[in-house]
Amino acid sequence: MSGLTFRLSAAPDERLDLSQLTPGRLASIPLADMLRLVVGTSKRGLTVGDLFAVSGKPGDTVKIEGGSSRLDFVGAGLDKGTLIVEGDVGVGAGRQMKGGRLEIRGDAGALLASGLSGGLIFVKGSAGGHVGGLSPGDKFGMTGGLVVVEGQAGDRAGDRMRRGTILVRGRVGAFAGSRMVGGTIWTEIGFGADPGMLMRRGTLIGPTVDKMLPTFADSGKHDLVILRVLSRYLTATLGPLAPLPLSGTVRKFAGDLATIGKGEILLTA
Amino acid sequence: MKVNGIAIDDTFAEAFGMSGTGVVITADSLRWARQAANVMSGFGTSVIGCGAEVGIDRELKPEETPDGRPGVRVLLFGFSPDAVAPQLKNRVGQCVLTSPGSACYAGVESEKRIGLGQGPRFFGDGFQTAKRMGKSRYWRVPVMDGEFVIEETTGVVTDAVGGGNVLILGNDRAGLLTTAELAVAAIGDVPDVITPFPGGIVRSGSKVGSKYKGMVASTNDAFCPTLRGRVKSELGPDTVAVLEIVIDGLSSKAVADAIRAALKSIIDNGAAKGVTRVSAGNYGGKLGQHHYHLRELLP
Repeated sequence: MSGLTFRLSAAPDERLDLSQLTPGRLASIPLADMLRLVVGTSKRGLTVGDLFAVSGKPGDTVKIEGGSSRLDFVGAGLDKGTLIVEGDVGVGAGRQMKGGRLEIRGDAGALLASGLSGGLIFVKGSAGGHVGGLSPGDKFGMTGGLVVVEGQAGDRAGDRMRRGTILVRGRVGAFAGSRMVGGTIWTEIGFGADPGMLMRRGTLIGPTVDKMLPTFADSGKHDLVILRVLSRYLTATLGPLAPLPLSGTVRKFAGDLATIGKGEILLTA
Repeated sequence: MKVNGIAIDDTFAEAFGMSGTGVVITADSLRWARQAANVMSGFGTSVIGCGAEVGIDRELKPEETPDGRPGVRVLLFGFSPDAVAPQLKNRVGQCVLTSPGSACYAGVESEKRIGLGQGPRFFGDGFQTAKRMGKSRYWRVPVMDGEFVIEETTGVVTDAVGGGNVLILGNDRAGLLTTAELAVAAIGDVPDVITPFPGGIVRSGSKVGSKYKGMVASTNDAFCPTLRGRVKSELGPDTVAVLEIVIDGLSSKAVADAIRAALKSIIDNGAAKGVTRVSAGNYGGKLGQHHYHLRELLP
């Protein structure tokens, strides 16, 4: 595994757009040009060379050492290779990512995986609001791929999400799966209030819900074959990161009946 | 040439290029997976009269199936992908969807795909939903015992082979049947093949054409023991019966492996049960693209 390492010299004093620092984009750029890439978002025009010490050679991996909540759009548009961040990232990490692997060994800000269509995002810490959600100007949120958050996720995870799977080991905030069109959100701890508001299709899986919307209908307890398929798919794809397979029945709530009602909340407890 | 007292004809089995597809059927128990597979395979002996040749390839352990339940792999063969697709749709729709606790998944991996759940999903009458996982899409069709889960497509291969065969001749009809049963069981250990006839065994081998207009095939009179003396018989004076095993496979190698397994079983078990000779069916080598010479496949 060869690649470049970007060591952050000091905490940035403005927000940075790091969408250019992916293995694919850096593969054909000479080091001198790489250092001149503008990553600042103010009129100062801060460059990579102003902020990072760069080492290594272009390859299939990029590593960013030293995180900050001001590192925005990390891994945006990633289509192959691996991007590792040793620390926190800001908003829009993995935005419109198409493939490869983004590993964040800290916390992620809002709109993690917005517009994600393929690949895997792993967050060691927690994620902000709108994980896999809709960014302004987009038609949908996440449309494919896998997101694993070891910690908590904020409000409105999966807002207008269409496909793919979000797995949260911790708790997911309020309004998870709002306006959802498809896909799966799985929490191992539970959902906040009003999950699935205006969802059309899709699946929310978790042990508890703080408050269920009145527009979800209790469909009773069921042993769903599709959950066995999902469990085995996640085990095959994620290995040790996969959730423990579900055993026994789940209680199904169908909704949101304020829309077409083809979505579902599956309570595992 | 004799092996273990059984004469092996210097001839070959002539087989044809076909298209093949497959599905994995799971259920709450192996019994019910097999039940659905058996019904789906019904009336699937010969592509000429049935539209497809269908059979069980093998049973699958829970760890081999997409949903972790016991399963059965069924293979289906036809003349072309276009001919295979409607057979698959109808058989799955009528025989698998209807079977309690069943689910149905792609059983062949290949670039070329045909619809699997694309038709049966409409049974959901608008209540069906889909879930994509990786490259696969699964339909969930509400039914009276829960949900019927079915993958959207399955693979189809166009270099499959149909009509590989072995003829078993002997002087004890019951012994021949037992020998043929053992040979079919041996073929069961070979992956990617089926023996589509009842119990894997055919007693009505055919020749091309007939004296009757409209019949594309008729009895293979040269191998009918009761016609010895009336026709140009292929049978010796001691032969009282002939049984045939027909083999379809997803590849030519699979069919060759199956014939090899059958020959070994027949040679190991046949002499004591009245088997005197092994032969194969062909049309002079001019019709089928695949020739399997018996003596080259001896164990």
